[in-house]
Amino acid sequence: MARDFKRRQEAGGSLRRVLRFLSSMQLGIGLLLLLAAISIFASLQEQEKAVADIYRSFWFIGIMAFAALNLLLCSLRRVKPLARLALQPQKVQTVEAIKKMPFYRAVKLTPADGGGGGAEKASAALRALGYHVSVAESPEGKKIFGEKGRSGYFGSFLTHFGLLVILLGALVGSLTGFEYTGGGIAGDSFQVPGGNFTVRIDGVRMVQEPDPTVRPRVYSDVVVTRGGSQVAAGTVAINEPLRFQGNTIYHKTFRYVSEIVIKNPATGEETTKQVSEQDLLAVGSEGSYIHFLKFFPNFSMTEQGMPYSINWLPEKPVLAGILYNSAGQGERPVLLQLDKPQVIAVAAGEIELTLKDFQDAVVYTVTRNLGRPLLLAGALVLVFGLYLCFAVSPRRLYAACERDGDVIHLGGSSYRGRIGLEEDLARVAKELAQQEVEA
Amino acid sequence: MAGAIEVSPAGLFLENMLFALAVAGYLAATAGYLAYLFGKKSLGSYASRLLHLAFFLHSAFLAARTVNVRRVPFVGHFEFGNLFIWACVLVYLWTERRQKEKYYAVGAFLAPLVVLYIGYLTVVPKIFTKVTISRAHTLLPPVLQSNWLKVHVSASVLGYAGFTLAFAVALMWLLKARLQEKSAFARALPEFAVLEEYMYRASVFGFLFQTVMIITGAIWADTSWGRFWGWDPKEMWSLITWFVFAVYLHARFTRGWSGLRTVALVVAGWFAMLFTWVGVAWLLSGIHSFG
Ligand code: HEM
Repeated sequence: MARDFKRRQEAGGSLRRVLRFLSSMQLGIGLLLLLAAISIFASLQEQEKAVADIYRSFWFIGIMAFAALNLLLCSLRRVKPLARLALQPQKVQTVEAIKKMPFYRAVKLTPADGGGGGAEKASAALRALGYHVSVAESPEGKKIFGEKGRSGYFGSFLTHFGLLVILLGALVGSLTGFEYTGGGIAGDSFQVPGGNFTVRIDGVRMVQEPDPTVRPRVYSDVVVTRGGSQVAAGTVAINEPLRFQGNTIYHKTFRYVSEIVIKNPATGEETTKQVSEQDLLAVGSEGSYIHFLKFFPNFSMTEQGMPYSINWLPEKPVLAGILYNSAGQGERPVLLQLDKPQVIAVAAGEIELTLKDFQDAVVYTVTRNLGRPLLLAGALVLVFGLYLCFAVSPRRLYAACERDGDVIHLGGSSYRGRIGLEEDLARVAKELAQQEVEA
Repeated sequence: MAGAIEVSPAGLFLENMLFALAVAGYLAATAGYLAYLFGKKSLGSYASRLLHLAFFLHSAFLAARTVNVRRVPFVGHFEFGNLFIWACVLVYLWTERRQKEKYYAVGAFLAPLVVLYIGYLTVVPKIFTKVTISRAHTLLPPVLQSNWLKVHVSASVLGYAGFTLAFAVALMWLLKARLQEKSAFARALPEFAVLEEYMYRASVFGFLFQTVMIITGAIWADTSWGRFWGWDPKEMWSLITWFVFAVYLHARFTRGWSGLRTVALVVAGWFAMLFTWVGVAWLLSGIHSFG
């Protein structure tokens, strides 16, 4: 039995040792340095490759999870001692103990201040410095305890807690999220499979910047429906997404959709097609086609014959492409100007093409991120925690008179030896000493 | 189709003139602080006055630039660099004013760093053709038209300024340690403990703003790109810098590290910061390549 007990104790001992290691700051520092080293290596790779091979790999996520576990265990282990330290200060200290504190001073009192007057003055001076003061009677005499900046004890705990909430938010976001790209021109709708809703584009407006060479801003009105009923509606523009139920519709970019009328001059037969950049359009029945490359709102040519757009004003719209024959060989460039019919000779005969109209099409990124509230809350807690860590310094000051009453002992400590306490101590001492001089 | 702004010749002249004067002022102040360091103690207050003057001229330059570009001068390598240099001087002068002549020696290390940064903006592009630092007056593309831009950039220049100041003090520490107590020069530098305290405070200042920078950057990325974090090199290097300073703060406070090991961490953190600013732009590519 005794041996059993010993073995259990040993097991407990090694479990405790493992826990101590897992919650240790050495491990934390090591993991942070490791993450930094991996990130340095990864940032030197192509970004897509780094994301695919490293940041999304199970081992990288594993290291992050390990760091989170370390942080969690470390915080948990410290909760109790921290609470005891912060909330249950030992308010009564012997003169001997005060003498041994990191900061210590003794002030000789005047007869007037002896026997209690000094203690009152000391507590008044502490209150004036913003300390919470409590006074206790003891056989030794009056004991004064002053405390300030208690919230500062919780700074690092809140910082770490904020970090954990952020990591949790990231986890929730990546487990429940999706990303989808879709879009169209006014009147179009598209289905977002991951979100089980449909987005309808009701209108698209292009607002030109004062300088026509700056890319215009595009505003689009969208309506979101699910099962026939409206879920959300609003205007989307760059930097102004539409958010609903954890989903967000972002304006990603815009492009032009051209309307082309294709006419067979021989038969008079006409068809209308919508094309956008990079689309292929079959012309004639022989396999010839046009590859549309780019839409220029205000077309011009450089001296070297390179097409470009002077600015974003739609003053001379041109849709440019290349005509390919059925063997896939490029034959010649095609430049379609608005309302100017152009006759193109292909193997099957002649075809007349006209750029009839063009419209602004919007491309959206639709995402769901249910982790967003956690991410934002975690960030707030993190910043608040850092503020408490670095801007608030918790201090404790003790004052006690000797039994015969003519010397008051002042001592104190500040959390992790921060400065500031020494000045407070000097001020209280000066306050008492001034009385002495004046008396 | 770049968005260039027409600037009046007078406006352009004023801007260029103020920039040249500010650079001259920084050079003169640097000479003054170095003279102070090498024994001309009486020059300390003159160096400080010169730095104040240069700072004033530099502020005027930023104001002229603001008028010329008709927006905050927060965009592109040239504007960001100037704002960053300005923030370094601001933060240093603020500490100097609080501590008076006690910190003139820090100025002798900070001012050369400021000159180094100016050299990067002005001389380096003339030597390395790959580095093109445009001074063109450009309009803001819509993606940058956001109030987050102002918060994000302000936080980042203040963060970088804190780290630069910490690095300047780390250099002092290293020099003092190298020369040992024998030399009068080393003795003229503040005590190791004072230097370490200063380095710690500057790092904390930088760390706080670096945190705000990363968070506001992520929130802004979420509203314009549809994601908080995209693992792009600029984001990653800010995070690396942040990690290094986090390690420094933990090591100092909870492990009780001091001396060379902490100085080395601050130096490493500064290099990470410098790489975020300079290296990522020219050696790596990413979505942040506009700034
Ligand atoms: C990954 C594992 C981490 C572990 C195990 C860890 C552990 C610790 C421990 C034990 C303390 C001392 C707490 C106290 O005395 O109250 C501390 C302080 C602190 N930690 Fe962490 N930490 C980690 C990560 C981080 C990170 C990434 C940050 C970044 C913001 C951070 C920010 C802080 C701050 C600001 C303090 C206060 C430091 C000071 O007062 O100078 N910690 N940490």
